[in-house]
Amino acid sequence: MSRKAVGIAGRRLALSNLEKDLYPSHGFTKAHILDYYQRVARFILPHLKDRALTFKRYPEGVDKDFFFEKRCPSHRPSWVPTAEVGRDDAEKMTVCLVNDLETLIWTQNLASVELHVPLARAGSPETPDSMVFDLDPGHPADILDCTRVALILRDLLSELRLASCVKTSGKKGLHVYVPLNREETTFEDTKKFSKAVAVIMQKNYPELVTAKMAKEFRKARVFINWSQNDSSKTMVCIYSLRAREKPVVSFPLSWKELENSAGAGDPERLQVMPAEAISRAEKQGDLFQELLTKKQRLPYL
Amino acid sequence: MTEQGIWNGTISFSLVAIPVHLVKAVDSGRVSFRMLHGKDYSPLHRRMFCPKEEKAVPNDEIIRGYEIAPDKYILITDEELASVSPERSRTIEIIEFIDMKEVDPIYFDHPYYLIPSKGGEKAYRLLTEVMRRTNKAGIAKFVLGEREYLVAVYSTRGTLALITLHYSEEILPDEDISPKEDLVDAGEKNRLEINIRKMMADFNPEKYTDRRRKKIMDILRKKIKQTAPVETPHAEGEEAEGPADLLAALKESMLKVKKNR
Repeated sequence: MSRKAVGIAGRRLALSNLEKDLYPSHGFTKAHILDYYQRVARFILPHLKDRALTFKRYPEGVDKDFFFEKRCPSHRPSWVPTAEVGRDDAEKMTVCLVNDLETLIWTQNLASVELHVPLARAGSPETPDSMVFDLDPGHPADILDCTRVALILRDLLSELRLASCVKTSGKKGLHVYVPLNREETTFEDTKKFSKAVAVIMQKNYPELVTAKMAKEFRKARVFINWSQNDSSKTMVCIYSLRAREKPVVSFPLSWKELENSAGAGDPERLQVMPAEAISRAEKQGDLFQELLTKKQRLPYL
Repeated sequence: MTEQGIWNGTISFSLVAIPVHLVKAVDSGRVSFRMLHGKDYSPLHRRMFCPKEEKAVPNDEIIRGYEIAPDKYILITDEELASVSPERSRTIEIIEFIDMKEVDPIYFDHPYYLIPSKGGEKAYRLLTEVMRRTNKAGIAKFVLGEREYLVAVYSTRGTLALITLHYSEEILPDEDISPKEDLVDAGEKNRLEINIRKMMADFNPEKYTDRRRKKIMDILRKKIKQTAPVETPHAEGEEAEGPADLLAALKESMLKVKKNR
C-alpha cells in the first residue's frame, strides 16, 4: 500500500492507495478522484458547508460493495469539523461537516466517492433551505423523458413565481431544486407543496409521470419523488462524483440546454464527466449559486 | 442488490476470514399501535416535557445528567460520551471456543443470524458444518451501535447464529432468593422427581402461541372487514390533496402551462 503525506492549509494528511483503480473499467484511480475534488472544491464546498455528510464509501471500487456511514468515524483527524444531530438519545450522533478543502480531501482518502447531504443545515435540521423534485425514470424511460418532465415542472413553478434550477443526478435522472432560504420554511411545507405538485403532474401527464413510489407504477414513467423533502433524507450533492461504471458528476444544467435536448438524441450526452465538469464550471461559474442565496416563499400554504 | 443487514464485515479466527452480514433472528411478537389524537386522529409524537415550565423543551436545551442523589446530578457532555465510544468493528474475531452447554441461558441477550456475503458462501458452509459437528460456540467481542458486546457464535440448522451475551456484572446476585434451610425430606424429593419425569417431552415451541397476540389480531381483522378506518387529516392518498388554495392555483397554472406548450 502506498502512502503519501500532503500538507493542506497547514494540516498534514497521509493519503493512501493513490494508484487504486476505483473505476476499474475506466482507469480512474483514487489519485484522479482526489485531483477532481481538489479542482472542484471551490464550487462544491459552499453546497456541502454545514451539512451532515453521509459517506457512501467504495473502498474496493465502484463495482464492489459499498457502505453508508452517517456517523463521523472516530478515527477522524482532530481538525475535521463536526456537529451533533438527532432528536433523541437513540438517534444522537456526531456527523462530519465538509467545510474546508482538507476535510473534503480526507473524505476522498476514505474512498467516499459519493457525497450525500440533507436539504437542511446541521444547525437547523428542521429548516430545509430548498425544495427538491427527484426525477427518477423507470425503465425504459430515461433521462430524456426526465428533461421533458423537468421543463413542465419549471413552467408550472414559474407560473407560481418560483424559480428553479436543475442538475443531473449523475445516474439516470434529474434533480430539480427550488431555492427557499427562509427560516420559516418547514419540511412539512416542502413535503405538502411538492406532493401536491407531483400529484397534479401525474394527473395531467399520466403517460409520462407518476407520483407513486410503488415499482409497478414507475415502469416507463418518470417518478417524481417528492418524499425526499424530509429531514431524514439526503440528496447527492451537486458536483459529487457518482459510482457508476464510468466517473460521472452530478452537474448543473442550464434550462436552455435542457430545451435543446428534450426528448431526443443520445441520453448519455447529458452526462458530464470530471474533466468536462471542471472546464465548464470554471467557464460558467456555479449555476447553482442561487440555490444558496435566493429567498423564495412557497405560496398558498 | 444484496440484503444490507444491520452490519457488514467478516467473521474470523486464526487464518479463516469469512465475509458476512448480520440480520435479525427474532421479531418481537408485540402488536404495536400508533398513538393518535382522539379529536382528529393526528398521529402523536413524543417530546421532552419540562414539568416546571409546563412546556416541551427544544433539543438544544437538553443535556445529560447522572443522578448521584435526589436532585443532584453530575453533567456529562456528548463529547465525553463520544470519546469513550468504541470504534465500529469490521470483524468478529473469535477469541476462544466453548461448549454452548456451559452457558447459563441467563446470559443470553439478543439473537441474530450471520448470513454469508458474496464470495464467502463456501467457507461459511464449512465453518457451520464443523461447528455443528463439534457442537462448539465461538466467543468474540464485537461493536454494534455504540456498545461493545460479548457474543457467542454457534451453528443452528445450517446457519450461523450470533447471540449477544450479558456481561457477568450485569447478572444480578441470586444468593438471597432461595431459602437457606434444607428441610426437604428424601421421599418428597423422589416423588417430585417422578412427577417431572412423567411430564418429560421434546421441546416443541410450535405447540405454543402467544394467545393475547392472536386474539388482538382476530379483533383487528374483524374490524378491518366491518368498519372503515379513520383517517389522519392529511393522510397519504391517491387524490390531489393539500391546501385548497394551493390545489386551485396549481390547477390554474397547469392549464396555462399546457396552453403555452
